Amino acid sequence: MSHIWPIGGGKGGTGKSFLTGNLGILLAKHGYRTLLVDIDFGTANLHTVLGISHPDKSISDFVNKKVGALEETVVSTTIPNLYFISSAMNNLDIANLAHEQKMKLLRSITKLSYDYILLDLGAGTSFNTIDFFMISNSGILVTTSEPTSIENIYRLIRSVYIRKIRQELKVHNFRFLAEEAQRRDSRATENNPDFLLYIMKEIDPERGKILELSLRDFIFKLVLNQLRKEDDPNIGSLICKIIERHLALKMQFIGNISFDDHVHNSICKKMPFLHIYPYTQAASDIRRCYENIVSFKETSSFAHGDID
Amino acid sequence: MNPFKKKNHYELLELSPDASSIEIRRAYKNAFELYKDESIASYSFFSPEERKEIISHLEEAYLTLINPESRAEYDKKLIENGTVVEGTQYRQKAKDPISIYDIRKTHSDMLGPRKRPEVLKVLASQNLLIQEIMTKDTMTGADLHAIRTELGISLEKIADETNIRLAVLRAIEEDNFDILPPMVYLKGFLKSYARYLQVDEHIIINGYIKRIAK
Repeated sequence: MSHIWPIGGGKGGTGKSFLTGNLGILLAKHGYRTLLVDIDFGTANLHTVLGISHPDKSISDFVNKKVGALEETVVSTTIPNLYFISSAMNNLDIANLAHEQKMKLLRSITKLSYDYILLDLGAGTSFNTIDFFMISNSGILVTTSEPTSIENIYRLIRSVYIRKIRQELKVHNFRFLAEEAQRRDSRATENNPDFLLYIMKEIDPERGKILELSLRDFIFKLVLNQLRKEDDPNIGSLICKIIERHLALKMQFIGNISFDDHVHNSICKKMPFLHIYPYTQAASDIRRCYENIVSFKETSSFAHGDID
Repeated sequence: MNPFKKKNHYELLELSPDASSIEIRRAYKNAFELYKDESIASYSFFSPEERKEIISHLEEAYLTLINPESRAEYDKKLIENGTVVEGTQYRQKAKDPISIYDIRKTHSDMLGPRKRPEVLKVLASQNLLIQEIMTKDTMTGADLHAIRTELGISLEKIADETNIRLAVLRAIEEDNFDILPPMVYLKGFLKSYARYLQVDEHIIINGYIKRIAK
């Protein structure tokens, strides 16, 4: 079984592909067989961050049944141990993945055999993005210190929270419990998921307990990217605190990555950042984040066995 | 875990029931920073009404806990409903004043740990060389030096502990009679010296004075 790290964050431009690419490089350098998958079907970028302009295979070959196994769409990179499934040459219509195709893709990803599989998710909180984010319990969230980015983080987490509750309860059970909860206390809405869960637990202690346990399995991680000198370096840990206190989800702060113009340069040059600017502040920040994530690694980062 | 809305004052401010007033003030300030309107970290997480509600909870918690009387009353309630165990709540503890200054300029720690007198006594009584010296009728500076080195004590250590000048101690051990202090002082110094080494002070003083007289 592989460790799967979905990397998401709601807002575009926060550095999801950047972080995925560079974490992948570090994992590969430490000798782990690592696969990066670009799940941002519509607006794929990961190949550029890795410095591969024209990958000759893509994930749509698998979705459109051109090839039988997902494994056949993997391309190797110039970095030993680092493999890649690209979305670069996808057909334009793949952004709207049908439910069946998505489930097939999710199953196929969990069956791949690598040490680490990193999923670069697209922006937004559509079901497609969220379901890939929930493929394992150890999703990594990327945000900047701007309110626009932070509000999307909260949005994404709440979507995951509600989706998990909906998944655990079958549809009609959920509707029944949710309506009953709202009747008891008008504040128990989906926008207030921890309170909703609390009231649900009062109505049906047995189901409530199951829900609570399944939510407690999540161990999210947060990276604060593009931190500028004038920003408050504690913002990341405060965001984690809000989520732990008000949603009762586990959320670990991994670290800050400094804002650095070299990142822009490396992307313009279409070269991996860690390769051309290994001695910058941002590069050492990424290495520290890597150390933190790997040391937090727990068995729970294995994929769920029950995706159907 | 309790959802946020059902937390008690201590849980709300993330304090333990024995928090001091300084801790309460600090906790309130930190919490307020996190939940105030302009906070970036909690931006968009709460609706304006929720934010208002949280802030008023925080204020209520702070005002209750910061006042000793209302706090004692609140603690009593928590003890009654079993949230807080009797005896773990905050009590004003009177503390002894701590002295800021240490009048000694040098610290004997720098010269190694002090050997305990009982230990020295045993060492001295078991050491054959020392026992032999102690049977002598007269005591030379070299004899004193031998006793001291057998016990593994430096001259600096004795100087530090007895407040006898190092030069005087050295003169005693080197039989440098010219710079020895007057007899009445010398006796006192020899006494301190012998006591520090835990050997019989009378034998040392009498033996050494006999030696000078020769």
